[in-house]
Amino acid sequence: MAEAASTEERSTGRNRRVRALVTYLRDRRRLRTSLVAGPPYAVLVLFFALPVLTMLVISFRLGSITGPFTLDNYANFLASDTYRTVLWRTLLVTVEVTAIVTVVGYALAYSIVRFSRRTTLLLLLVILPFWTSYIIRMYAWINILQSGGVLDSTLVLLRVVDGPVGLLYSQEAVLIGFTYVWLPLAVLPFYASLSNMDPDLIEAAKDLGAGPIKAFFTVTLPTTANGVVTGIILVFIPTFGSFITPRLLGGTNSIMIGMVIENQFKSAFNYPFGAAIGMIISAVVVAVLLFGARGGGTLFAGGDGP
Amino acid sequence: MSLLTVSNLTKRFGDLTAVDGASFDIEDGEFVSILGPSGSGKSTILRMVAGFEAPTAGSMTLDGNSLVGVPPFERDLNMVFQNLALFPHLTVAENIGYGLKQSGVPKGERKDRTAAMLEMVHLEGYGDRNPDELSGGEQQRVALARALVNEPALVLFDEPLSSLDRKLRQHMQSELQRIQAETGITFLYVTHDQEVALSVSDRLIVLNDGRIEQVGPVEELYDEPATAFVADFIGDVNAISATVVERDGEHLTLDAGTATNLRARTDGRWQPGDRIDVCVRPHEVRLLDAVGDARSFATRGTVRTRSYQGSDIVYTVETEWGPLTVNARERGHAVGDEVAVTWDAADAHLFPAGESDAESESTDATAERSASESDRARPEGA
Repeated sequence: MAEAASTEERSTGRNRRVRALVTYLRDRRRLRTSLVAGPPYAVLVLFFALPVLTMLVISFRLGSITGPFTLDNYANFLASDTYRTVLWRTLLVTVEVTAIVTVVGYALAYSIVRFSRRTTLLLLLVILPFWTSYIIRMYAWINILQSGGVLDSTLVLLRVVDGPVGLLYSQEAVLIGFTYVWLPLAVLPFYASLSNMDPDLIEAAKDLGAGPIKAFFTVTLPTTANGVVTGIILVFIPTFGSFITPRLLGGTNSIMIGMVIENQFKSAFNYPFGAAIGMIISAVVVAVLLFGARGGGTLFAGGDGP
Repeated sequence: MSLLTVSNLTKRFGDLTAVDGASFDIEDGEFVSILGPSGSGKSTILRMVAGFEAPTAGSMTLDGNSLVGVPPFERDLNMVFQNLALFPHLTVAENIGYGLKQSGVPKGERKDRTAAMLEMVHLEGYGDRNPDELSGGEQQRVALARALVNEPALVLFDEPLSSLDRKLRQHMQSELQRIQAETGITFLYVTHDQEVALSVSDRLIVLNDGRIEQVGPVEELYDEPATAFVADFIGDVNAISATVVERDGEHLTLDAGTATNLRARTDGRWQPGDRIDVCVRPHEVRLLDAVGDARSFATRGTVRTRSYQGSDIVYTVETEWGPLTVNARERGHAVGDEVAVTWDAADAHLFPAGESDAESESTDATAERSASESDRARPEGA
């Protein structure tokens, strides 16, 4: 009896404290807001803003992270033909990959939305590769693309080619790998904006005299511009900085800037130089995306999904 | 020759026959409404005329040219969509000018014609806004202007006014009539709302369950409905099932299975023993203080509900013939009052029994609506 009474007492005591807290918070809007918004902001500051700032500081050191301040890292990078070429080639590869993924992904999302009933199943199939580790998927591609691999033996079997092609360690292999890896990432935002689009808009366009192709470019594409831009950003940024895919599938034949950075940190141990290259490619990515957003904005006439 | 000729138009979705052998003509410059409950197939007819659905059978000609197999973008007609389908990424002016752009009208002329359209729908100065900045009524005007700017032979309306409140809807109705008179373009308007259909159209096509029940001028359909469904759907009606017991020239005596017999005057070919539905409009029913005041027949009843409608009062009177809706000027009756009910024998409309499934049709409307919506959700080219 006494025990039960004390439990009850404790719980009413707790209730009173909870009620007091609720009352306290009710009158303090800003405290409530910061309680909700605080943790995510803290995470962002701790794991994004601070590291970037640290990298920025390191990139101005000479030789090691405790070295004296200097602009040499930036000057060396910009003065070197090799690095500039690698950066330029990385940009080209990234643009190619983004273009391929955007076209293929949009076509895929479009056909899922417009022509099929098993939308959920198809979307699941699109996301399915994400359940396997990135590295494992890359090794699978090595198996497929290598000389005498699955692709080669299939092509030989079908008598498309006479001998093994050996696509591995080439620019094409890197493009294939990137396209495969980023396709699901682009399909999801494309799918979201396409399925949000009112299909009557396409009918309205046709009703007003636009053929299917014109209706697509004047109505479908502009009204889904938001999703397209999201997909492009999701593909462009990770491709630009990636180093695993080009290392595994491209070997030494297609060095990308991410590999150079990795090298500075893991082999050359020149952290400041690696940090400086990181800052430079961040600047390039931001510049390209800003430029693209402005260009795309006028191209799509300020298109906005519903 | 008629502007639009539709004959034997049929559309089946699997087992469901949405439109069953519909035939009608629309003359140049007419304002015609297709009226029917949800799921009656009226939107399907419209979508076939617009080119968004291919008919299973039948033919359509516009201005003498067959429409079957012609894609929507090559038809000389435009549509105002139910949800308006204004392009959200274009300004009001660009929305209106879209059709002109597609038909290759040069920029200068496009601008002038768009401006003229904005003026016609009273939206001067709205050209640079985005459609989502406009009110519902203003968006309707933009959709209308967009459909009219190409000066098509025919403009189709898929219940665009249904989302507006009553006052705005009535205003837009008169606007539609004004604009139709100004442009002389033929309008084909689809709606389930008899009030809209009655007030705007020259002629009505009443559709029920995929079949055309009656086609004719508005007054004719109201005064001389061909079927019990039309009588019920256009205006309200009280329906009483009865059997003919005696015929004396034009005068029929009808037994509704109750103590008091009904009387009707008709030139129809009814014979004793025929089972018929007697339909009488609420405003034709008269309330009397006593049965003896009636000239031919009357019964007693109790006022069950009384609802004030402004110019008149709508009573529900419980009688031996069933509950009757009465639209009357008399305000003196209260709920619970004993009254006598009668009508002029010539005012009753008589239909063969069993056709009066109108009641169940209208209550099924919600179920049928969902059926029709699932049809619309079919992918293109299905």
